[in-house]
Amino acid sequence: MFALSYDEQDALAAYADEYGVTFPLLSDPKSEIIESFGILNTLMDADDHPWYGIPFPGTYVIDADGIIIAKFFESNMAIRANADQLRRAAIGEEVTIEPLSEPPSEVTADVSFDGESLAVGVVRDLLVTFRVPEGQHLYGEPVPSGMVATSVEFDESEGLVTFDPQFPPTHKHTLSGTGEELQVYEGDVVVRIPITHNQRSIEKLDDGSRVVRVSGTLRWQSCDDEVCHLPVAQPFELALPALRSNTPEFRRKEGSTRMDTPTHFAKMTERRKEPQ
Amino acid sequence: MLEKEMFAKQHESGGWEDEFGMIGPFQQGFGPRTNPKPGHPTGPDIGQRLPDIVATAHDGAVIDVHKARAGAAAIVVFFRSAVW
Repeated sequence: MFALSYDEQDALAAYADEYGVTFPLLSDPKSEIIESFGILNTLMDADDHPWYGIPFPGTYVIDADGIIIAKFFESNMAIRANADQLRRAAIGEEVTIEPLSEPPSEVTADVSFDGESLAVGVVRDLLVTFRVPEGQHLYGEPVPSGMVATSVEFDESEGLVTFDPQFPPTHKHTLSGTGEELQVYEGDVVVRIPITHNQRSIEKLDDGSRVVRVSGTLRWQSCDDEVCHLPVAQPFELALPALRSNTPEFRRKEGSTRMDTPTHFAKMTERRKEPQ
Repeated sequence: MLEKEMFAKQHESGGWEDEFGMIGPFQQGFGPRTNPKPGHPTGPDIGQRLPDIVATAHDGAVIDVHKARAGAAAIVVFFRSAVW
């Protein structure tokens, strides 16, 4: 784990001390590395002190050979990936789907939450698992005319922030009768939907706990090579434990010295004003 | 040409709301809240080798990321700032 910013080394040292950071915080005060990666935030003016020099924030996950295997970038600075997502990408862990005791006779779908709680601005995934009986399929894009696509729709919520669903790749399926080629999903299909919240819809329950409700409708239509079943619209609702903080796991180290933020900030403001 | 995200709505708290309903003290599109529209550059692509990074760490040690990870997988975060 390495983290790089345009902060001066002494600011990173103070921060590492205050929060007990155990991995290297790398200093790129002239934003040279940030620029060499092509991720300097060029929308800020060079004379807009002290903001100029920050990257479009994001994370690279690399394998043992140093090859990038995953990237996490958001355009909005209030939104960021969750540590579990990064860790999972680094170790290549996938969701385990419990095998069913007996094969399903019709398509089933359920929605679960990949995580324990939803913190403000921190992205976690909803997992929608479709189990498609052998011999049947669901439709991916392009959906044949007259058929219903596999989709996830959310109900309006001013507090929930949802991103595009990440569907797995489709399989090519050739209908035995007509020879028509279709893009389909078969077997167990897991759709990931990144979500977060902006704390507008936190609901306090009687036991004092806080939740964010996530509701919507799953739609699909299953077919085999001969017949198609009627389209299904299945509502779902989950109450996810909600956190108001965006850094819930991040606490000051006990007994540490608070960093002198105003002084570091003043220094950042001044440093680029000096003649180069 | 990159475009700035300019959606901003003044909130009753005096703060500014962005397109996701996140409220901050600065108006979206100005100063520290200058975000791009989606589709902005994200640097080297998946499948490429992470370019070399050699920099001074918080404790003064000069770190070469590819050497320091000693053959292990790694996570490299580019973050905004430890100060603000």
